[in-house]
Amino acid sequence: MSSAAPDRGPLGAALAWVQDRIGWEGIAHLAEKKQVPIHRYTIYYYLGGMALFLFLVQVATGILLLLYYRPSASEAFESVQYIMAEVPFGWLIRSIHSWGANIFVGVIVAHMLSVFFLRAYRAPREMTWITGALLLFLALGFGFSGYLLPWNTLAFFATKVGTDVPAQLPGLGPLLSRILRGGSDVTGATLSRFYGIHVAILPAITTVLLGAHVVLVQQKGMSVPLSVESKKYRTMKFVPDFLLRDAVGWLVAVGLLAALAAFFPWELGVKADPFSPAPAGIRPEWYFLSMFQGLKYLPAEIAGVPGEMVGVLFFGLVGAVLVLVPLLDRRASRGLPSPWWNRLAVLALIGALVLTILALRPPPGAAP
Amino acid sequence: MRGALAAAAILAGAALALGQSAPKPKPGASGAAPPAAAPAARIGCVTCHLALDDARVSPPAKLFADDIHAKSGFTCANCHGGDPTTEDMDAAHDAKKGFRGKPKTADVPALCGNCHADAALIKKYNPSQRVDQLSEYKTSGHGKALAKGDATVATCISCHGAHGILPVKDSRAPVFPTRIAQTCNRCHGDAKLMADHKLPSDVYAKYAKSVHFEALTKKGDLSSPTCNSCHGNHGAAPPQVASVANVCGTCHTIFADQFKQSPHAKAFADMGLPGCVTCHENHEIVHPTDAFLSTGKDGKCSACHDAGTEGARAAAAMYRDITALKTATEKARAALEREAEAGMLVAKPQFELSKAEEDLTKARADVHLFRPYEVQQTVAGGLTIATTAKAQAAQLARERGFRRKGLGLSLVLIGLSIAALVAKIRTLGPGEKP
Repeated sequence: MSSAAPDRGPLGAALAWVQDRIGWEGIAHLAEKKQVPIHRYTIYYYLGGMALFLFLVQVATGILLLLYYRPSASEAFESVQYIMAEVPFGWLIRSIHSWGANIFVGVIVAHMLSVFFLRAYRAPREMTWITGALLLFLALGFGFSGYLLPWNTLAFFATKVGTDVPAQLPGLGPLLSRILRGGSDVTGATLSRFYGIHVAILPAITTVLLGAHVVLVQQKGMSVPLSVESKKYRTMKFVPDFLLRDAVGWLVAVGLLAALAAFFPWELGVKADPFSPAPAGIRPEWYFLSMFQGLKYLPAEIAGVPGEMVGVLFFGLVGAVLVLVPLLDRRASRGLPSPWWNRLAVLALIGALVLTILALRPPPGAAP
Repeated sequence: MRGALAAAAILAGAALALGQSAPKPKPGASGAAPPAAAPAARIGCVTCHLALDDARVSPPAKLFADDIHAKSGFTCANCHGGDPTTEDMDAAHDAKKGFRGKPKTADVPALCGNCHADAALIKKYNPSQRVDQLSEYKTSGHGKALAKGDATVATCISCHGAHGILPVKDSRAPVFPTRIAQTCNRCHGDAKLMADHKLPSDVYAKYAKSVHFEALTKKGDLSSPTCNSCHGNHGAAPPQVASVANVCGTCHTIFADQFKQSPHAKAFADMGLPGCVTCHENHEIVHPTDAFLSTGKDGKCSACHDAGTEGARAAAAMYRDITALKTATEKARAALEREAEAGMLVAKPQFELSKAEEDLTKARADVHLFRPYEVQQTVAGGLTIATTAKAQAAQLARERGFRRKGLGLSLVLIGLSIAALVAKIRTLGPGEKP
């Protein structure tokens, strides 16, 4: 049955025709009904929308890059060079994609920290947190797989180091490393795999998890911090009040990305040469630096177990704890403050920050 | 008994030192005992000579332990003769048993040649080892002087050592490429000795300033020439005027070929001037610069070609062309580097520009044809490339400007959009009360 009034003209009639067939009343009703709490922490609500926006920017720019990118060891570097130098606005698209990837990871880390410290993961939003934590790992996977795609020297050797990490896991570790590399070493086969992972496997998983995450956010509504919950607070409509404010942030993000692309086009570097020695100072993207540096400091053996294996297992444990925080933090699930989790998180953050700074120091003997 | 043995050994050492009882070795008579005799022989000579701890006789015994001959099973007796199997000093040093003591300087080449000129023998130890050292030596300045009775000249042991002889490829060897010049300088840096032979003694000092010395000792390029590369090693002799270009041309083939095609080849020959070294020196061969073509203090052409002559004009034309290309490539390179620092991708124009830099190198080589037209042709190609590269740098600069203007316009539009959104948000009110 059509809900469009008979006097709305051809456009109204067309809209009514589409609505009759796909029925968006439910979505429209949800959007109209949804309320966003207003309190001193409201600003953190915008981080989720910002992360989603940046993800969509990555999807859009990534699709455009796909039109010219060639995933083979002999052509990858040249194709990115062509995108940067010859394709109209190719420099802009690639630079936004590269800068956007880094800002995207930064925003979802900030989003996750805000959710953590505001205990927004407490019941009944445990699944929202778990899907979000898994999305963070997927974002890191996007970063790791995308880093190799330009096939430059830095990415090549950083990937060699990075794909060595899973090999430290007991049991299936070496097999996992071989599967990632498509052989015993990083080669053109690794590039093909990373390309497939970057543009097909990860997007497919992300689509499912992101869909679940967004649906859960809509279903459960915005969480209110424990310190605010007992007080009276105003609310605003999600549409249009919150969405318009979100849009302001998105426009600022677009301006920032454009400025970064114009003033600091993402470097391409030198084409990877598997036969050349590893250059000094190779390191992964900033979000892997703390792990990279942490593994360096481990002794060869810890209690008879290889140090790197202990390190990788430790980081795996940290990841598992991160995903399962809502289930482990029993006080939060009962609506009580859980200061020990805060202390633990602050300690972990300081540790990660210190290790990152140490990793950013120039290598010994390098020019200042 | 031990004291008597020691005293006898000292006497034998003195005999060795004085070169007594050293008959001229007969080629092929030897000398070259099979290595199977080595163990017993070593006990006989080295055991006593080391035990004596005498500065005259024990150092050779110590040095011989590391000698390539010792490692191949040769013994003291192969060169000095005598009976190494006995511990009796008189019997060991008995001239009837072939003892010849320390060979005279004049006898050294032939003594070494006993084995080293014996192809059948040398083949047993190293099939690729040359066996013409003795015959070459005889053609050398050293060999000729020795044949005339001059015992101050170098023989085999002057360069290779007498008892601690190391393979040429051993970096400790005095004939290893990086050490040859110092080895030659032991005699050729001796002012008095060289004055006696009417030779300069500052050759090493000059060579140490050369590009060849720098490449050899500082860059570790063992293919870079040292004394023997130009003078020969066993047949060492100064290259004659007519052969200088050939000697340099063994490495600098293109320059040598070009020089032979140039008008200078005949002119130099007519004037008795050696080819390359007239402009580049012989030992103090410094980095050549474009200023060699100038009329300034570093200019070489003006030494022969007076101002206003055809030669001077040709030099000036080549200098002008090469300088123009050098300046153009440097400016283009600097412009591209500015763009690279600004984040622009310059790999392709930089690669193109490298072809102009190759042309500059080629033009500098073409100078050895001494025909300005040839240089001009090469320079013209390079200038076209350099001009294109500079234009590409300018295009990149414009593109950079365009990007920034585009960014400015975009930011204005984004700012207006934000302002419109903020204005709209302000109309929405403070939210709903609980």
